[in-house]
Amino acid sequence: MRRAWRLAWCVLPLLFAAAVGSGVAPELEPVLQRLQKAAEEIQTLAGSFVQEKRLAMLKEPLVSRGRLYYARPDRLRWEVTEPVARGFALTGRTGRRWHQRGGSPETFHLDRNPAMQAVAEQLFAWVRFDLVRLRLQYRITVLGEHPVALRLEPVPQAESGILRRLDVAFSGDGTHVECVEFTERDGDVTRITFTEMVLNAPLSADLF
Amino acid sequence: MGPVSLVCSLYSVFARHRVVLVGGVTVLLLVSALLFQRVRLDENIAAMLPGGQSEAARDFALLQEAPFARRMVISLRAASPGVEAATLLAAADRLAAALQPPWFSRVVAGAGDVFGGAALPRLLDALPNLLSESDLPALAAGLTPTAVRTRLREGRERLLTPEGTAIKGLLRRDPLDQHGLALSKLRSLALIPGLTVHDRHFVSGDGTSVLVIAETPVAITDYRGARDLLDRLAVAASAAVPQGITTTILSGHGYTLANAEAIRGDLALVIGLSSALILAIYVVFLRSWWAAFVFLVPASVLLIASGGVALLYPTVFAVTIGFGGVLLGMADEYAMHVFFALRKGGAPPPQILEAITRPVFSGGLATVTAFGVMLFSALPGQRQLAVFSIIGIVASVLLSLVVLPHLVPAGSAQGRRSAAPVPDHGRLPSRLVLAVWLGMLALSGWGATYLQFNGDLRTMSFVSREIEAADREIRRAWGNLRSRAMVFADGRDLATALRVNDEVYARLAGSVPVAELVSLAPILPSPETQAENRRRWTAFWEAGRGRMTRTLLREAGDTLGFSPDAFAPFFDRLSRQPADWGPEDLRALGLGDLVDSLIIRGPQGWRVLTLVPDTPAVAALFPRGPADAPVHFVSPSRFRESVSRALGREFVLYIVCTFALVLALVVGVFREVRKVLLALVPVVTGLLFMLGGMGFLGMEFNLFNIVATVLIIGLSVDYGIFMVCHLSGGGEHAADRSVLVSGLTTLAGFGALVAGRHPAMHSIGLTVLLGFGAAIPAALLVIPALYRRACGPVSCIPRWTSCPGSRP
Repeated sequence: MRRAWRLAWCVLPLLFAAAVGSGVAPELEPVLQRLQKAAEEIQTLAGSFVQEKRLAMLKEPLVSRGRLYYARPDRLRWEVTEPVARGFALTGRTGRRWHQRGGSPETFHLDRNPAMQAVAEQLFAWVRFDLVRLRLQYRITVLGEHPVALRLEPVPQAESGILRRLDVAFSGDGTHVECVEFTERDGDVTRITFTEMVLNAPLSADLF
Repeated sequence: MGPVSLVCSLYSVFARHRVVLVGGVTVLLLVSALLFQRVRLDENIAAMLPGGQSEAARDFALLQEAPFARRMVISLRAASPGVEAATLLAAADRLAAALQPPWFSRVVAGAGDVFGGAALPRLLDALPNLLSESDLPALAAGLTPTAVRTRLREGRERLLTPEGTAIKGLLRRDPLDQHGLALSKLRSLALIPGLTVHDRHFVSGDGTSVLVIAETPVAITDYRGARDLLDRLAVAASAAVPQGITTTILSGHGYTLANAEAIRGDLALVIGLSSALILAIYVVFLRSWWAAFVFLVPASVLLIASGGVALLYPTVFAVTIGFGGVLLGMADEYAMHVFFALRKGGAPPPQILEAITRPVFSGGLATVTAFGVMLFSALPGQRQLAVFSIIGIVASVLLSLVVLPHLVPAGSAQGRRSAAPVPDHGRLPSRLVLAVWLGMLALSGWGATYLQFNGDLRTMSFVSREIEAADREIRRAWGNLRSRAMVFADGRDLATALRVNDEVYARLAGSVPVAELVSLAPILPSPETQAENRRRWTAFWEAGRGRMTRTLLREAGDTLGFSPDAFAPFFDRLSRQPADWGPEDLRALGLGDLVDSLIIRGPQGWRVLTLVPDTPAVAALFPRGPADAPVHFVSPSRFRESVSRALGREFVLYIVCTFALVLALVVGVFREVRKVLLALVPVVTGLLFMLGGMGFLGMEFNLFNIVATVLIIGLSVDYGIFMVCHLSGGGEHAADRSVLVSGLTTLAGFGALVAGRHPAMHSIGLTVLLGFGAAIPAALLVIPALYRRACGPVSCIPRWTSCPGSRP
């Protein structure tokens, strides 16, 4: 029941935004500038997430839960707590990752780990709302203004990738992302819902 | 007509037509200068290596095929911690973009699309071609129920991670992590040991350096081209590379430039220093303005010999002009001999010429003979040097006997004083001289047993501090790029060469750790091996494993929540038989540069290269074979060995042949055992002292020392002939003074060479200094001492009777 509420909480704004979007398309630039300005106010960010993957290769959706931490300018922690404990923490271009079965954490460097670099770039782009980077990779349309919902589709140069589109719903004040839905070309969908987000609270250095 | 009567006749003719003589010499010098203007200089060190089909020549040619032998390696390093990786990579890109034709034909600043998204699927598809028999146990180990469950659980958990979206497709095609086996085939491709790829750039293991590799049409041996090329590169680097990033360049061009500039600097120093010393000797001993003509003889000889070589050879090795010039510059002894005899006077010039022509001619002939042996050398540079020297010596003898007597007037009182023989009463007691001499010989003989031959070209090259620092920095960041051994697998077509390469890899695999090998064999087996691998792959899955794996995946997948067709792409892959996997497939993976480095197409066919550690154990796996063998092993250390061996053979050949010929000549001149032995005293003393001195000083005998040996034999025998003739002739023609002065000028010349920075210059100078340092005292002190003991006082010998050709 709780999961169904969460799903509805994430999907409804998008549906609402889509309905609004079918009327008069809101202007893109003022919306993006507002989001960027709001993101600039964020020094730290902490919250929980629920990730739900609906993949053709799995019989049932794959649900995981965890915590996200961010401290400006370049520290990030992505921690899955259920069903397994694993995650990574990043400071600058170096980081460590762990796994509940993997013993002591393994360190890595983004310069030598292209996969982790791609992941880190995407996550940082969203928590900072890095418009320059996002525009390079996506064609952006506004699905709704209050709260803001965006649709991002890969630009032609990036169309050979696996992503078909990305729907992003922001919090009412536009300071952070509340829900992201990745739709892949093969129809698989991944939805991440962020809850209990706390902005600009002190974060322990040990987290990173 | 003998040489004596010919010289006398020519003197009479030119005495009446001196204008013709001077005009003729002037024309000869002008023509020589013109010919030399047209000469094309080749500064290639290979000229001094055994040529033709020799082992060393073959090895040297093969060493030039090494991946980094002809490329410029440019390393950019973040010198301060504040420089970010992106800044470093951007600097590499800017520099690469700035290096344009015609100076740079190709520049690689990164790995292109190495291991782009399609790389792993391609490798997975090629597995049936690539997995050998030794891989099958590892493949089978991944098919147990436990292994399958573990893999699937790990795969499912990885789907939870942020990068899970990207690996989903790979999990469907490869749920059992077989791509690990495919990736293990790439381990043997670490052409640059310390390299990682980041953002499509070559980044060092510590992340502080990025690599740019440039190819250029400028030949490594082209000094001027190398200078301009490195200037261009420096300008491009200063514009493209910001502060905080250092640029290190390592290429053969740097070595060429450093060597050429060192030689030029040395020549300026040596010529300046030796000219000053020689001038001082002339002032002290000759004390006459007429001596200027003596000074002109070696200068003219240098021009004539250079012109003669330019006429005979389309390309002249720089080493011929460089070292030949220095050698001939010292060869003023014939002119000196004639000068002293003329200045001493006491007889009309024809009579003086008659007396001195035979020793001068015999001495010249002995030196020509010594250099003549070098005409049969396996080293093209030495052959050319022999031609150069022979032309020079012939010219020196002719100028001294035919031209100089018309320029230097015969004996005045002052001339007699300057040409007076070394006073007999000043001589040391014979016993003391002989005792010291014998002691020195014994000591030198002992020291000579310590002498080692060294064929390492690097010891003969000048390496500046900048190059040493660059070499250290490149090694620090990227490992040892240039000193590995190579195994060449040859074939008339690529398939044959790859098959031979497979055999090479099989031979190495048991003895050398895979991480130390750079070989295409694991990732590009021959078509024959690939067909065999495919057959084995099919048999592997058909032996019930295919069905069993399907069952295991279905059951484990069901338990972990995978849908029934989750791994359909995996079974689809297993059911397909891939076509042959070739170089183009590796290019598609972004490994084109590596393919081009390790596969060489030549006029004779194809050649596949494997890089291995240069150790005796690896060398022992590849015993030397015939030139047309399909496998060639070449390494810097084996090359050094083969050059050292060739050097040893050449040296023995020179010593034996030169000595035999010189002996025959001296026998022909004196026809008396005692005089023959006496004439050879300077040669034996000089050689033995040189070898012994080198042994005691820990110096190794290198390619250039062969030339020094010939020089010592050639010039020392002259001193012997002059002295024996002089003693036999009652000291009539001031030979001891000419031997002393010409010996001193030679020592001054070679003494100046010792001041050179270039190892070859320094080495040749030091060895000749040792040799002449002993030969000259032997001629001046030991020959008279022995002569006195054998024949009694010099004055007891009747005048004009003992020297062949002298008048009774």
